[in-house]
Amino acid sequence: MKKNLLLIRANLRKAKGQAVAIVVLVLLSSLMMNLWLMLSMDYKKNFDRCHDRLNDGHVNLAAYSADEEFREFVMDMLERTPGVTEVSVTDAFCAPASFQYGGGELSQFAVILEKEAAFSREVGKYEITGENSPGSGVYIPMLYGTGNNYAVGDTIELKLFGKPFEYTVCGFFNSTMTGSHNCGILSFLLSGDKFREFSEESCAVESTYISLRLEDKMQGEEIEASLRKVISEEFPDIMLSGNYYEDLTTSRYISQMICAGITGAMAFFVLLIGLVVIASNVVNYIQENMQNLGALKAVGYTGRQLVFSLILQFSGLSAVTAVVGIALSYCIFPALNEMMIAQTGIPYTVRFLPVPYLITVVFSSGIVAAAVYLSAGKMKKIEPITALRQGITTHNFRRNHVPLEKTRLPLQPALAMKTTLSGLKTNITICITMLVLSLILVFSGLMYKNMIMDMKPFIDLIAGESADSCININAGREEEFLSMMESDSRVEKFYLFTNNLDAQHVGGVSLMPSVIEDGTKLNNQKMVIEGRFPEYDNEIVIAIKYAREKELRMGDEITIKIGGKDNNYIITGFSQVTNNLGKDCILTRGGYEKAGSLQNVSYYMNLTDGTDIDAFNSEVTARFGSDVNATFNILAVIEGTGNVYVSLMTIIVIAILVLSGVVIVFVLYLLVRTLLNVKKRDYGILKALGFTTGQLILQTALSFMPSMTISVAIGIFISMQIVNPLTSLFLNEVGIVRCTFEISLVFNIIAGGVLLLFAFAAACLLSLRIRRITPRALLSGE
Amino acid sequence: MKEILLKTENLSKSFSNGGNLQHVLKNIDLELYKGDFTVIMGASGAGKSTLLYALSGMDTPTIGRITFGGKVISDLGTDGLALFRKAHCGFVFQQVYLIDTMSVLDNVLVAGLLVNKDKKALSARAGELFEKVGIPEETRRKFPTQISGGEAQRAGIVRALINAPEILFADEPTGALNSKAGLDVLDTLTGFNEQGQSVVMVTHDMRSARRGNRILYLKDGTVLGECNLGKYRPGDEERHRKLSGFLSEMGW
Amino acid sequence: MKKRFFFVSLLLVFAAELAALLVFAAQDTEWVQDAVAVNEAVQSVQADWDTIERHTNHTALDYVVIDTDGTVLFRTRPGLSESINRAVSHRDTILDLEADGIVVGKIILYNNSAQTLWSAKRAAIIVFAAALFIQCIVCTGYFLYLERTIIRPFHKLKGFARRIADGNLDIPLEMDRQNLFGAFTESFDIMRSELKKARIAEVEANASKKELVAKLSHDIKTPVASIKAASEVGAALADSEKSRENYRQIVCKADQINTLITNLFTATLEELRQLPVVPADIESREVEELLKNADYLHRAVIPEVPGCLLYVDRLRLQQVFDNIFANSYKYADTKIETEVQKGGNYLAISIEDYGGGVSKEELPLLKEKYKRGSRTGQIEGAGLGLYISDYFMKQMKGELVVENGQKGLRVTVRLAISGTI
Repeated sequence: MKKNLLLIRANLRKAKGQAVAIVVLVLLSSLMMNLWLMLSMDYKKNFDRCHDRLNDGHVNLAAYSADEEFREFVMDMLERTPGVTEVSVTDAFCAPASFQYGGGELSQFAVILEKEAAFSREVGKYEITGENSPGSGVYIPMLYGTGNNYAVGDTIELKLFGKPFEYTVCGFFNSTMTGSHNCGILSFLLSGDKFREFSEESCAVESTYISLRLEDKMQGEEIEASLRKVISEEFPDIMLSGNYYEDLTTSRYISQMICAGITGAMAFFVLLIGLVVIASNVVNYIQENMQNLGALKAVGYTGRQLVFSLILQFSGLSAVTAVVGIALSYCIFPALNEMMIAQTGIPYTVRFLPVPYLITVVFSSGIVAAAVYLSAGKMKKIEPITALRQGITTHNFRRNHVPLEKTRLPLQPALAMKTTLSGLKTNITICITMLVLSLILVFSGLMYKNMIMDMKPFIDLIAGESADSCININAGREEEFLSMMESDSRVEKFYLFTNNLDAQHVGGVSLMPSVIEDGTKLNNQKMVIEGRFPEYDNEIVIAIKYAREKELRMGDEITIKIGGKDNNYIITGFSQVTNNLGKDCILTRGGYEKAGSLQNVSYYMNLTDGTDIDAFNSEVTARFGSDVNATFNILAVIEGTGNVYVSLMTIIVIAILVLSGVVIVFVLYLLVRTLLNVKKRDYGILKALGFTTGQLILQTALSFMPSMTISVAIGIFISMQIVNPLTSLFLNEVGIVRCTFEISLVFNIIAGGVLLLFAFAAACLLSLRIRRITPRALLSGE
Repeated sequence: MKEILLKTENLSKSFSNGGNLQHVLKNIDLELYKGDFTVIMGASGAGKSTLLYALSGMDTPTIGRITFGGKVISDLGTDGLALFRKAHCGFVFQQVYLIDTMSVLDNVLVAGLLVNKDKKALSARAGELFEKVGIPEETRRKFPTQISGGEAQRAGIVRALINAPEILFADEPTGALNSKAGLDVLDTLTGFNEQGQSVVMVTHDMRSARRGNRILYLKDGTVLGECNLGKYRPGDEERHRKLSGFLSEMGW
Repeated sequence: MKKRFFFVSLLLVFAAELAALLVFAAQDTEWVQDAVAVNEAVQSVQADWDTIERHTNHTALDYVVIDTDGTVLFRTRPGLSESINRAVSHRDTILDLEADGIVVGKIILYNNSAQTLWSAKRAAIIVFAAALFIQCIVCTGYFLYLERTIIRPFHKLKGFARRIADGNLDIPLEMDRQNLFGAFTESFDIMRSELKKARIAEVEANASKKELVAKLSHDIKTPVASIKAASEVGAALADSEKSRENYRQIVCKADQINTLITNLFTATLEELRQLPVVPADIESREVEELLKNADYLHRAVIPEVPGCLLYVDRLRLQQVFDNIFANSYKYADTKIETEVQKGGNYLAISIEDYGGGVSKEELPLLKEKYKRGSRTGQIEGAGLGLYISDYFMKQMKGELVVENGQKGLRVTVRLAISGTI
């Protein structure tokens, strides 16, 4: 052991620079790995912890009815439903609500509860977080208290059924099941006086809000579906909204999962590069120290001991570094946590997590040990005598790459080419590094182009269909409405797109149907990623994620129950929208009306540029009065939710670009160092012949460029092919199976060019050490 | 009067060796003439190679001035020196210092292309020089590790002369060779000198020294004495005696 | 390297074949009827039922529409099954067409699986033929490569080995550096040349060893012999007591002289033992520093010293300068002028004040031990300063010159330039 430590000290002292570079790479990767593990392992558990603390319901149902008969029926049914353990029923008002959030407007189905009643619920409790000033006003989910949104004492304008109400924000509450717009149900708690005040309003619909706990929380989906089915059979006129546990564990953590996924992927990429660097380092070390190693062997060290000392050196270094990296990750975590809370809306306290810590340390040092072991295989084969002589065994035929006599290249590039062609290891390291980096580059280019620069592709993917305005109107006045739209010059295009309906896949779950008339009119043609939109009334498009789960194929016939009636539909395509986490379908109007009837219809409108959408909406509302159920300024809504995503994505893109820069600099540092060690003598000779430092620096930097250019080109080409599937892996949980993000070739070529220029500049700067090589070293004696 | 090629004034060179300064060259005032075969002799440690490297612009003197054809080179920067060496000097090293990863021919061309962009003319000159030193076509395609020491050193001379330098500096060119190969190299050098090539050679070997027409003896960093022998003629006993006399006077 | 290339390409060809096979095997499942297209055909025909003659086909399918009587109302192309019976025997798909809930006719969708099967077969055959062809080429190429790289060089090697065995080490082995076998043959040739070298070296080493032993024994023998011979001769020739006494006397006196010289040497040294002077080479720039240190009142402008190496003891030279400046401060107390001149073997540093100097008679005495000038008056001093400085300078192979300048006393320190004396 002591002997090994001695060897390690000697090795480390000799290669301080390498040690630093490896430390930085391992540091970065362990930092990100720990973040990833913390995010993916504990963050979701936090949801469970919160859920249990609040004794929150596994299934929540909100119905537009407070009828005694209805409630009795429901209670009776729940008693008979196996698996239901606890139930809370509370008086409430249901309403489609909208309010300002994140610089835009947010619309969501809302449940309005009386504050005291909400806090005293058995199941589905609410808890107040942060400061609050009890009084007359509203309590809103804590998600909307993050960032620059709302603070205690601010006034919030809630539009319920399109009618604005102004309330003072008294405080924020935490609710796992109804605390975010990703939940399907959003709740607001009104103080007693405001609640009574609201109940006088004409638009107030007395409703029932039911929360139930189950024996097995994973049955939520099933039970929710069956409850809905039974209720809608008995009371077909009562509109129902609901959510369940499994769904929310995913939907509330979408951004956190994406973030964790990216962090994890980056951790592995950086670790991969680190491993390549370590491996090439070890191989170089053995080659450079052949004689020393031979001498050690001659003294009696076994090959295994030498390898062991190397492993100890590198994995010890990695373990220590990983610990530091983890410590750093705890420094970064609070900031990240804040960002995440602004996305999830569930409070999370940062605390030490031993499991991610152990995994990170053990994994980092373990994989480094494996890499060292594999690349140090040559060490065992060193025969002391041949190593000491180092003559015959290392003698090999070299080809005279790029003969100067024949080449057409100018002198500098020709010499650079010679270096390039004789350095296989360097090229491999560069190749792997650059392949990984170009993937990162293409990925961040994709994020930049599709999420930051132009949000539309991302919105299309996440939100499905979007237009400028959406108006929901009672079916009775539809024709009048259509003729108005047709004659209005501001309306460029309008089409039916109704999706606040309900349908049940017989033998499956409830699917949220979108009803259309003409699929070709939709703005987002990518919504159906396989097949085509339904054209005839026996055709249906279903979500691809759901189809894969149920193993449904194109052309299959499925039975859908709408309004208590079964109908068969042929699957003509698959859609992917994350709206309902991949549980939705598209039907034609005829197809839907075979079973149910459309009480009201939503029309999407594209308006001409410069039209004031809000003004347009109120104009329509003014004309049709109460027949207009809701109007949405979709553009504003998109901006509202989109901005939050955009800022998150911007941070991620910047972070990974900076990271790539750091990685490339360190890898080049190692390569240049190694190259200069090998070439010290040659460069001395060239300097003696009259080469200037500048020429040699240029030569060195140029020698990296061929393999770099080729691997960046290949890397970008490959990455462009795989980046969409790869991104869909991240988004799979959200219901996205196949991404169709636009990848711009020009953009990527420019980015690749910038990467190469950056690498070239870095290589030049790093080769400044050549200045220190002097021909004096060639002196014969003295 | 011979034309002065290189002139030094007060040339001193010190090296820092673990904190204490070591003065290897001390106030050397020297003039080197065109067409001479100057030999710098001395015991090891006398500063011969240091002097050679300072003269040839490989290294800058600590104190003093070196003038080459009216131009002061001692205060040039490293890049300036590199350009000076490229334009005016050729080198032959004791260890030859051919670049192992290049063929012999490329080793010569790499120096040539630095100055002369005309590849055809350059190849022709290289061929001519190789011919003169007696390196056949196939040897030129080999790698330095595959040829003998004598061949390598002669290739080194070709490399040194490819740009037709004003001075050829040779640092113990025969030091690492056996006697036969050493003689070949010396003959090559003498041959080029006879055609007018100025040569400055450092050696501590009497047999090599005999080739020069001007012998400088260096001791403890100063020129202890010099001896003019006149042109080399093989088998000239008179010359030999004069040199032996000079060297024993110098305490060799 | 090339071997790997062949294996990889072989593997690739295999993989391609395997993939083709798998695709072929999996294709069966692809032959289901395209239900979506069928539905589209049915729906579009139903929608156009009243104006069936103007109906156009929107799908890639071929079909025939007949009414309940079996009359053909529409066909996408001739040559399809146009009756139920034909359709049944051709395994076509037959579906009812409805209008307002009543069956009004049938649609016969043509079964084209035979064609599909044929085209799939053809594709498979082409793929396999291509794969076999590539495989063939790869194998042949590999065989030729083996022939060229291994078998032929082996034949060459056979002759080579025989020559080595016969002791003929002069003929080198021809090698082809392009082939993978080159390194192996190269090792053989290295073995040959190493053997040859070893043989020559052995001969040479034996010769030189003998030479050395002979030379050394001769060298040692000579002085030993002459000492022995001289003593023998001396003993033999000393025939009288007196001459023997003389020999003793010579030895005795020689010893005495030796002791005397030693005594003398140590005696002179003793006086100056406390002040050793150890000159070394220093850069002339350092002298500037020494001057600045000495002139702590800043009375003088220190000139630039030309670059050269000087042979001085830094410590002692500092003492010399200190003394000169202190003297000037003490006796003259004026501005001081300094001047540096380089000439021949010396670097001369002159220091002159405005004090008027000393009288001509006193000038030579200043450097004497315990001598002081007449104008020293009450100023304290031992009269040793210049005497010691002069001694130091001599030890440094330099000189100290004291003279009267134009304005005052002028002291010139001449430092030896190293390498010139």
